[in-house]
Amino acid sequence: MSTGGRPRYPVYVPEYPRSWWLETGPYRRFAAREITSMFAAAFSGLLLLFLFALSRGREAYEGFLRWLKLPGVVALFAVILVAVLYHMATWFRLTAHIQRVRVGRTVLPEGAVVAGLVAAWIMASGIVLYFYIWF
Amino acid sequence: MAEATIAMKVARYRPEHAGEPYVDEYRVPYREDMVVLDALNHIKDEIDGSLAYRWSCRMGVCGSCGAMVNGKPRLTCSTFLREFHPKPAVVEPLRHFPVIRDLVVDMTDFMEKLKEVKPWIIRKEEKPVEEGEYLQTPEEVDAYKQFSMCINCMLCYSACPVYGRDPEFLGPAVIALARRYNLDSRDEGRAERREVLGVDWGIWDCTFVGECTVVCPKDVDPSAAIQREKVATTTDAMLSVVLPHRGGA
Repeated sequence: MSTGGRPRYPVYVPEYPRSWWLETGPYRRFAAREITSMFAAAFSGLLLLFLFALSRGREAYEGFLRWLKLPGVVALFAVILVAVLYHMATWFRLTAHIQRVRVGRTVLPEGAVVAGLVAAWIMASGIVLYFYIWF
Repeated sequence: MAEATIAMKVARYRPEHAGEPYVDEYRVPYREDMVVLDALNHIKDEIDGSLAYRWSCRMGVCGSCGAMVNGKPRLTCSTFLREFHPKPAVVEPLRHFPVIRDLVVDMTDFMEKLKEVKPWIIRKEEKPVEEGEYLQTPEEVDAYKQFSMCINCMLCYSACPVYGRDPEFLGPAVIALARRYNLDSRDEGRAERREVLGVDWGIWDCTFVGECTVVCPKDVDPSAAIQREKVATTTDAMLSVVLPHRGGA
């Protein structure tokens, strides 16, 4: 709440509630976008744990693989997958809003940019899948 | 047939009478073509002359008549009562600003911040008048025109929770106007403005909630302006490392 320095007249400065992010649909969607970023961070952390187990030798690596198969861990990864997909979808939409893509003298519509990003994501996933299956 | 009416619930703050704001309810004649400002003018002229609010052009150009209408920042001159009738219209002062009286908020903070980003064309050296105008192609005008449509109505500040939580934040309209001049081919003040925009309470304070863009009555899209300024600032910073002799952009 800004008072813009010291006004020479009495002003009423309303309190700003800490729960502002629950007030409206758009604010709640913003909060969901930000909260799901923590799941993306959690996935990166788990990936680091995987590399750490790998660096400690065969036994640690196989122990980590067994841990991954526990029902609770599988459920955790399912939750992470949903959250990261939501987070990704929000950022595809926002990226298309920010990034103006010009082709000649025309600016591509946002839908086309989102489609391009989705196509790039599918291609990248396809490449990963190709290496996973064939190597 | 009885005349149609609508209830207007208007927030009042009169420091000489009460320390806390309160709500007065008025019943005003209703027509389908009436806007919220018409109802406020009716109250002022016919019911309660003590009501204070700002307005001027009545056509969405001057940016004076912004208020919270049923919880959303709107221009009262462009908000039709038919959106709410037969339910009441609730009018409150713009959120996130100190209230001076009734619907009148203190704009000092906004005006000070606006000056900081130097929203005018900066030239290192003015060319002599006899050399003629600074010409621009339609593409050069198109680059900044959208951001030049801002009418300083401050609705975007009322929609921005970052400004609500952190009053230091420069805010959507100020950054959009800075970008408007940064994008102008006649301007050479980008490096000067970057000193103001590049601080923690400048572009980097924005978390891209995006509601400033939703409420903007002139489709200025301040949230895109801020994010694009972030990209431009980062690109310039990286280029200055790779090409240190390139000079300020």
